[in-house]
Amino acid sequence: MASTRQLKGRIRSVKSTKQITKAMQMVAASKMRRAQDATKATSDYTRTANELLTYLSSQGATKQHPLFEKRVVKGRLLIVIAADKGLAGAYNANILKEYIRALREDDAEGIRNETIAVGRKASQFVTRLKDTELCGTYTDIPDDPEGAEFYAILTTACAMFEEGKIDAADIIYTKFVSSMTQVAVTERILPAGFVKTEVTEFVRDAVYEPSVEVVLEGVVRRLVGSKIFQALLDARASEHSMRMLAMKNATDNASELAEDLTLEMNKARQAAITQELAEISGGAEAMKG
Amino acid sequence: MQLQLVTLSGSKFDEDVYEVIIPTIDGEIGVFPGHEPLVTLAKGGVIQVRHKRTDPLDKLEYFAISGGVVEINGDHVKVLVDEADHGQDIIEAETQAALDRAIKQRDEATDQVELEKAHQLVDRHMVRLKVADLHRRHHRS
Repeated sequence: MASTRQLKGRIRSVKSTKQITKAMQMVAASKMRRAQDATKATSDYTRTANELLTYLSSQGATKQHPLFEKRVVKGRLLIVIAADKGLAGAYNANILKEYIRALREDDAEGIRNETIAVGRKASQFVTRLKDTELCGTYTDIPDDPEGAEFYAILTTACAMFEEGKIDAADIIYTKFVSSMTQVAVTERILPAGFVKTEVTEFVRDAVYEPSVEVVLEGVVRRLVGSKIFQALLDARASEHSMRMLAMKNATDNASELAEDLTLEMNKARQAAITQELAEISGGAEAMKG
Repeated sequence: MQLQLVTLSGSKFDEDVYEVIIPTIDGEIGVFPGHEPLVTLAKGGVIQVRHKRTDPLDKLEYFAISGGVVEINGDHVKVLVDEADHGQDIIEAETQAALDRAIKQRDEATDQVELEKAHQLVDRHMVRLKVADLHRRHHRS
């Protein structure tokens, strides 16, 4: 049995680890709440864009548009969104698993593959692979992703699609279903699609200036952008809730371990006392004799 | 007339207004209640908002935007904006520094893509600076 001093040291280190994981859990929890609210904020924007597109496509305008063109897929762009840091349970592993699955799919069908990696964990992984071409990495995306990185991804994807370098673009991210459930999913963003929405009378009657085509161009880009944006937000909310859960488990485990060790230490102390008593009384008996 | 500025991260502004001036790709338009139904695109610039008919110039509110989709439906104006910054939220010194950085980037750009990005940044910060300036001049207390 280990000495009480050794045990004391171990208990101390387990307890300080627990303090750290507890703090990380708290930080993740507060970030998660904010990120969770943010995932809902895009709904108004996307609904309006979808409505406009529904109308414009009913006018036949989308048939001409290059971002709507459906081609045989010979090249595919994958946008992978993972975290910058680890310690978030299976978050990064799940995303990379989904990504590998997509790569195998492309390999099997002989599709050329290009990747944009978002997050340090994704970029580290992709740079080690041979069967894809890395055409961009973005790390340290701010909590409010409405910035240069987001536009860069959008512009790159659209440009590659229009040039014919790729015939489809998919985004791989962790969908935030609830704070308990997050799933890694692959979603198509190009060729552009939209959700059929009820068209109000206003949208039908309005004047489109300078022309339907120009307005369409503006709306399509924004709708594709909103999908990328939503994916970034979902990924962030998922990351924080998975990190929170992972840290909660770590904290619980540390508590349990500390308890076990304390028990063991008490036993060791008790045993030492008993032994000393036995020695003393043994010694006393010997003196008598 | 209701004016809504909607960004991807949620609604930035949703209030009753009397007049709004929007920079569209065909030039600035002033929108009053009862405007004909219109859908158009906004370009980067300043959105000016007058709350009441009698409001003097120094009561106007300014937003810097970097483009968007405008929906005008009688008494309801909705702008899907890429970015909207209220005049009072813009810190001039910071924006000036960002503008200087962007200009430097533009001058040092080695390829077309970088140049394009720097151009956009310069335009955006110029607009933000203008809005901050307008806000400061008209809201002196």
